[in-house]
Amino acid sequence: MTRNTTSTFSLPDRDGLEARFGVRVASMLGERAQSTAPDISERLRFAREQALSRAQAARRQVQAATAPVVVSRGRSAALASPLGWWFKLGSAAPLALLVLGLAGIAHVHDKAQIAAVAEVDAALLSDDLPPDAYTDPGFAEYLKTTRE
Amino acid sequence: MATDKELSDFLKSVEKRAFKRTAFAVRDDDAALDIVQDSMIRLAEKYVDRPAAELPLLFQRILSNATMDWFRRQKVRSAVVHNFSEFGGAGDEDGEFDILEVLDNLEGTVGTESASDSVSREQILRIIEVEVGELPTRQREAFLLRYWEELDVAETASVMGCSEGSVKTHCSRAVHALAKALKAKGLAP
Repeated sequence: MTRNTTSTFSLPDRDGLEARFGVRVASMLGERAQSTAPDISERLRFAREQALSRAQAARRQVQAATAPVVVSRGRSAALASPLGWWFKLGSAAPLALLVLGLAGIAHVHDKAQIAAVAEVDAALLSDDLPPDAYTDPGFAEYLKTTRE
Repeated sequence: MATDKELSDFLKSVEKRAFKRTAFAVRDDDAALDIVQDSMIRLAEKYVDRPAAELPLLFQRILSNATMDWFRRQKVRSAVVHNFSEFGGAGDEDGEFDILEVLDNLEGTVGTESASDSVSREQILRIIEVEVGELPTRQREAFLLRYWEELDVAETASVMGCSEGSVKTHCSRAVHALAKALKAKGLAP
């Protein structure tokens, strides 16, 4: 078989020829690769199984991160989920309401006490007897003899 | 998200080629097996949420990176960089070499045991394997990714971290170097 070894191919022909050659060599290489030694095949199988078990573990982690789970909080249990921020907010709201309620009750109680004292003061000030009379020794003596 | 079966099928389909490709690079079967195993585990752990269609390219990237990491650990980086910067030897300049001769001869061996008078098919396959292993690192990487892993030029460039033009150059030089070497071994008329 004689063939002119001087390349007269155009660029696309040459690319195509190279690709054909590459594919042909690679397929023969693949044929050879399929006949790997049993110990290598076994180690590759082990590696694959390891990778699969890691993938399953990683998948479980992803699912755990996206699904609600029951978690312990001290002696109680609560639902945790990726919406934990909203969950915490929901948990804190009743506590905040309780604190506000107590503060309100204390405020109302203080106001009631102030009103009672003011009422007594107002009664004393608006009485016919002037408050200075209670400091007068004569008036005190008068009150004592009157009771007797 | 790739299912367990898709991941398993993919790994099964790629594991032997991955091992061979890595063994070509590191020239040590045990190290190649470790690298392939690490790459499989990295793929499984970090990219388990990716669709099955993305696995081939991801795996090739991981495998290439793991191989580079191995070279770094071996502290032969300077030698690797030297190899990676190679653009082939004198034979690569032989643009006039007619690869059609070798191609015809290789295609003539398909399904036949008597394609060559002096070289059996098994020997041919072994010679091809040796010659591919002898290619400069970057040329071999480009050749195997393009023609063995069947990545396109853009994907190969992405895995190798170079331009598409470089991939084409590496592939072309690899093909010519292989054709010349195989002809020298009597695989051409």
